Amino acid sequence: MRINPNSIPDLLSALEQTQQQVSTDMQQIASGQSVNQPSDNPAAAGLLIENADQTSEADQFLRSIGSVQGEMQNADSALNSVITLLQRAITLGTEGANGTLNDSDRQALAVEVQGMQSQLVGLANLSYQGNYVFAGTATETAPYVQDPTSPSGVRYVGNAGVNLLAVGSNLSVQTNLPGSQLLSNSGNDVFQAIQELITSLQNGSGVDAAVNEISQAYDYVNAQRVFYGNSVSQLNAQQTYLNSETTQLAQQQNTLGGADLDKAMTDLGSSEVSQQATLEAIGQTQQASLFSYLK
Amino acid sequence: MSGLSASLATALSGLIADQGAMQATTNNVANVNTPGYSREVPILATSDPVVLGNLTLGTGVNLQKVQSIRDPILETQIQQETQTQGQWNALVSALSQTQVNFTSSSGDIGSAISNFFNSINQLATSPADLSLRQGVLTAAGNLATAFNSTSKNLSSQRSSLNGSVAETVDQVNQLTSQIAQVNEQISRLENAGQSAGTFEDQRTQLIDQLSSLVDVSVVPSDNTITITTATGTALVAGQQNFQLSTSPDSSGMQQVFSGTTNVTSTIAAGQLGGLLQMRDQQLPAIENQLDTLAAALATAVNGVQTSGYDLKGNAGTNLFQIPASTAGAAANISVAITDPSLIAASSDGSSGDNGNADTMYALRNQGIVSGQSASDYYANMVSGVGNATSNATAQQSASSLTLQQLNDERGSVSGVSLNEEAANLIQYQQAYAASAQIITAINSMMYDVIHMTTLTG
Repeated sequence: MRINPNSIPDLLSALEQTQQQVSTDMQQIASGQSVNQPSDNPAAAGLLIENADQTSEADQFLRSIGSVQGEMQNADSALNSVITLLQRAITLGTEGANGTLNDSDRQALAVEVQGMQSQLVGLANLSYQGNYVFAGTATETAPYVQDPTSPSGVRYVGNAGVNLLAVGSNLSVQTNLPGSQLLSNSGNDVFQAIQELITSLQNGSGVDAAVNEISQAYDYVNAQRVFYGNSVSQLNAQQTYLNSETTQLAQQQNTLGGADLDKAMTDLGSSEVSQQATLEAIGQTQQASLFSYLK
Repeated sequence: MSGLSASLATALSGLIADQGAMQATTNNVANVNTPGYSREVPILATSDPVVLGNLTLGTGVNLQKVQSIRDPILETQIQQETQTQGQWNALVSALSQTQVNFTSSSGDIGSAISNFFNSINQLATSPADLSLRQGVLTAAGNLATAFNSTSKNLSSQRSSLNGSVAETVDQVNQLTSQIAQVNEQISRLENAGQSAGTFEDQRTQLIDQLSSLVDVSVVPSDNTITITTATGTALVAGQQNFQLSTSPDSSGMQQVFSGTTNVTSTIAAGQLGGLLQMRDQQLPAIENQLDTLAAALATAVNGVQTSGYDLKGNAGTNLFQIPASTAGAAANISVAITDPSLIAASSDGSSGDNGNADTMYALRNQGIVSGQSASDYYANMVSGVGNATSNATAQQSASSLTLQQLNDERGSVSGVSLNEEAANLIQYQQAYAASAQIITAINSMMYDVIHMTTLTG
């Protein structure tokens, strides 16, 4: 049976295919990716996009956690100073309750406690990166103003708002405690307690009751402070979780789209051999035909 | 003498026939590299014998005709496969270009969506911070730009395909006109009783070229052929060709007309079929998905924005501006706010409240676009484009392979083999030499007859 006498087109087509294969292998090796365009692996291309968004989200959560931790640590440190002040107030008050002191001694104590009042206001008006930390959600204004007409000597001009923040796909954390809950809570108002100590020292009576009030406020603030300790722990744990999640996502990304470099190198080698062989075959089809042998 | 004369005539017929056969061989060898050439075979037949008494004597050989060897069924199969290949070639080329827009890069839509939501979460850590608010506006701007530029690229591609449609129709018209002319030449030769083999080869080539451009159906009719598209639009009827024309519709897209009938949707294969499919179906579908995504995302964000309060305690206004209809959303989406304080992060009017920012962030993983999150919808879209491209590439390869095999078969039937022609050459040459030798002998015998009756001296 007759065969196609012109074999060149077939050989050229084979050559083109091996060249295409070489080109694909080299693209993978150069980019390190097996999915260089969606058609390389359409399903993986889609999954890689979802993976990229999840990774981006995890990275963002880590950044946000970092921002919040900074504010919380500052708040916690301010509360620590408040508690130290209250301890000192208790000491002074206990001293002042001692019947052996005279008026001028008690006045001296009252003056020192008055100094604490302004320090407390300063601590309560802590500002971190432009926001008043204990103002609830009215963070642009200092929450406590001196007010001589007020029984506690200060007035709270913040609000009771709390903010939540998403730091995980199913996790939101509260990021602030308003001063109205923490420092000037009705029944546990530290400013009120300090004011009463001052007054009692000045008057020379009711110092014991005032010291009790301060102890109560002291216990209350300590209990409230736990919020910050717990939050920081929770955020640390979430950081650890997110770090391991980003590692897993990176592994998934590699599985979906990373080039198997060893395989690509081997393929490249065999594609080049194949290309060489095809070229030689084309070269050798310059056979003599019968015409060369006619005399 | 009549015997010798008869033998002379017989030998002469051999010379003439062999000369003619040589000519066919020479023509084959000369055309060994001509694309589409079908080898010619001389058809030799014994001349009618004469009867003398009870002797039946042969009168030599007759070169009846020179026949081109071709397989018409194979030709038809090649034309069909050429149409298929033309269509897939056009689709692969166009889809490969489209998919560049959806290949991962730092400015692509997927990254822009991620970065936009990231900026919202960052804002929620400190909602009154103007630089974080500006960050949201910047990310929103980048998102709008990503949509705009992808949409522009797709639109640009559609224009270019549109131009190609008009050019292809021109090429089709040129070919049908040429085919009609060749038909005329074939008819003329056949009416004069001559072989039109060369012109038939030419016509086959032209029809193959036409097949790569548009779907064709070739039907023999009278003594010529009629060519229509697969759905019956007339292209060539014998010596008459029917031009197709193009005319843009209201959106500027070229429509293909046969006379006054719009045949655009009937063209199913060939390059024209592929171009029209891409321009009128595939590309608009992708553009529609892009518009759906842009519109849904903008609408959802605007919905949250207008339910909250900005930094000054006023009700929020739209963050994104989009057209009233979904169509054109991706091309036209823009950021409607330039003042960062207008971002509505607060849910109650207080400047440090982040409730509305939290709500806006929650959109990231909500099914806001046809039940899917924005990112998932985009991922599926990209996957779809990738699938279409890889399918088209696979079909193109398969079609290429089939066409190659058909061409191989055609070559085995109609291709010129130099070895075969050389062998034929030897045969005809020797036969010619033998006939010439016989004529020499007959000449000598005639000389003897003439001089038979001359006595010398």
